[in-house]
Amino acid sequence: MERADTRLIKRSIWQYLDVPIIAVAFLIILPLLGINRTTDFIIFCIFVLGFNILYGFMGRLSFGHMLYLGTGAYTMTIFSEHISQNPLLAILASIVAGALIGVILGPIIVRTTGACFALINLAFCQVGFFLVLVAFSRQTGGEDGMSANFSKLSFLNFGNKAVVFGFVLFCLLLTYYFLKKFTSSPFGVLIKSIKENETRVKFLGYNTFTYKWVTFIISTTISAFSGALSILNYGYVTPSFIDPTRAVEVIFAALIGGSGSLYGSIIGGVVYMTISNYLASYIPRWEMFLGFALLVVVFRLRTGVWGFIVGMFNKRQKVLEG
Amino acid sequence: MSANSIIETKKATIQFNGLTAVDNVDFRMQAGEAVGIIGPNGAGKTTFFNLLTGLYLPTEGNILFAGRDITRVPPYKRVTLGIIRTFQLVSVFDSLPVIDNLALSTIRFGENYGSKWKFFFTDVHGEKIMKNCLDQLDVMGISDKADLMTSELSYGDKRKLEIAVALSLNPKILLLDEPFAGLSDQEITEVSVIINKVKATLSLVIIEHKISRIVDIVKRLCVMHEGRLIADGPPEQVLSDATVREVYWGKEEGLTCSV
Ligand SMILES: Nc1ncnc2c1ncn2[C@@H]1O[C@H](COP(=O)(O)OP(=O)(O)OP(=O)(O)O)[C@@H](O)[C@H]1O
Ligand SMILES: [Mg+2]
Repeated sequence: MERADTRLIKRSIWQYLDVPIIAVAFLIILPLLGINRTTDFIIFCIFVLGFNILYGFMGRLSFGHMLYLGTGAYTMTIFSEHISQNPLLAILASIVAGALIGVILGPIIVRTTGACFALINLAFCQVGFFLVLVAFSRQTGGEDGMSANFSKLSFLNFGNKAVVFGFVLFCLLLTYYFLKKFTSSPFGVLIKSIKENETRVKFLGYNTFTYKWVTFIISTTISAFSGALSILNYGYVTPSFIDPTRAVEVIFAALIGGSGSLYGSIIGGVVYMTISNYLASYIPRWEMFLGFALLVVVFRLRTGVWGFIVGMFNKRQKVLEG
Repeated sequence: MSANSIIETKKATIQFNGLTAVDNVDFRMQAGEAVGIIGPNGAGKTTFFNLLTGLYLPTEGNILFAGRDITRVPPYKRVTLGIIRTFQLVSVFDSLPVIDNLALSTIRFGENYGSKWKFFFTDVHGEKIMKNCLDQLDVMGISDKADLMTSELSYGDKRKLEIAVALSLNPKILLLDEPFAGLSDQEITEVSVIINKVKATLSLVIIEHKISRIVDIVKRLCVMHEGRLIADGPPEQVLSDATVREVYWGKEEGLTCSV
């Protein structure tokens, strides 16, 4: 009997050229959007990647991811205020904080699924919002927020917007590469399997709790990372960075792009940001159009924009072959 | 007594809001034995498997594996002990390619699992892992379908895939819940040939309605009815038992044709 040639599985040219493609794509958008917006887009894409590893790959939808973004943003600011103004150290501290909050909240949160999972994240996010806004308002600047100042590094001057752009793009590629390794490993198969049928995974001899926890930590860490980068870009933190109501942004982006793929996350991030940035400046109540866009995705493009493109590509290839 | 028994239940009982699905079952089998479990719909056969594998905790009673009490051991740990099952409704991962279904089970007791680093960062489609997976698919004769999506497989092929996954977990005791249900005659023959082949290396329990299909696999037959074990012994003896005939009267054509 002929064995199937598994080396062909999922081995398309996209899998090898992905990092350069993403880099080039953002360099192409750069002159169209301007450097500030492009930087903003890239940071948001990192957030979508962090969110989607939990939602798209493991099937756990969180309504409270602003908490993890906010953890990064506030750690970044407070670290620079009290400990060191070295931006790289501050980013590192934010990453550690993001991992820590995942380690601490994970055991409670990952036990749940479905609506309960979504809402328990939201509940923690509400608590975080309250802490920042009211309880610790003297440390965080409360409603007004506070500015973050970083020292100039000799080799990386973040005062220069071009340097920030380059650095942030590098961070996106790094995150992407890390997640790609991750999702194409046995661990990636494991979390996709958990999405489909967690009980079955247990009967393969895996303690699913541990792996869900690890995935959750990865997600909170990357989210905090993107929060820290936002502060690097803006130089100012406000409670909007931890505002629970903003959780929809990342959810919409993940849905638009296509939930189970890394490319999809990035495309979703860019499409969402384009809609929210540009529509907003032409049409006062732009959210309505975002709603329409979502309806189209839900009813016409179930697999998201990226899933649609892949589908078209496969169909064409079948036509060409047959 | 229980020293050389592979699995044993002592007064295993489980109730679901008033309904006793498994009722005081005392069951034991020796390592290397092949046992069939039959019984009408709703007799509690699947629930009995769920108790053995830890999906449900018994309301009362104990479960022992190789003499050790495992009543409260969680399912994934029972798998590491060697208690492996398949499901009545075939359970594979439809959203993954066929070959990926085997990745987790072949790795679980292989070298990549011990090293956490490798588990998180090696390419699952690398040559080494894929070779192991293909070897396992070969056992069931479906390695030509390795790169299809699992959702594209026929029900029979999914069953074969599920059994391939089970076998790749190195079972000491293999629990098959109606492995032949929904398969064509030819597929049943193919699967039972394989089961007969691997039978020598493990202990086997098969739940099956088609009695005629298992009498040449098992040397011992248990009959469940309303949660209780009502007969246990060599197939010929069990099938001629008066209570068993009464339970099955007019319900099971398999019974008459196999006696
Ligand atoms: N999780 C559960 N909750 C409530 N009742 C249950 C549950 N699982 C099983 N039962 C009940 O227990 C009884 C035994 O069910 P079980 O599935 O074990 O029967 P079975 O012998 O496998 O039947 P079949 O041949 O139809 O597969 C049935 O009446 C069923 O409704
Ligand atoms: Mg059953």
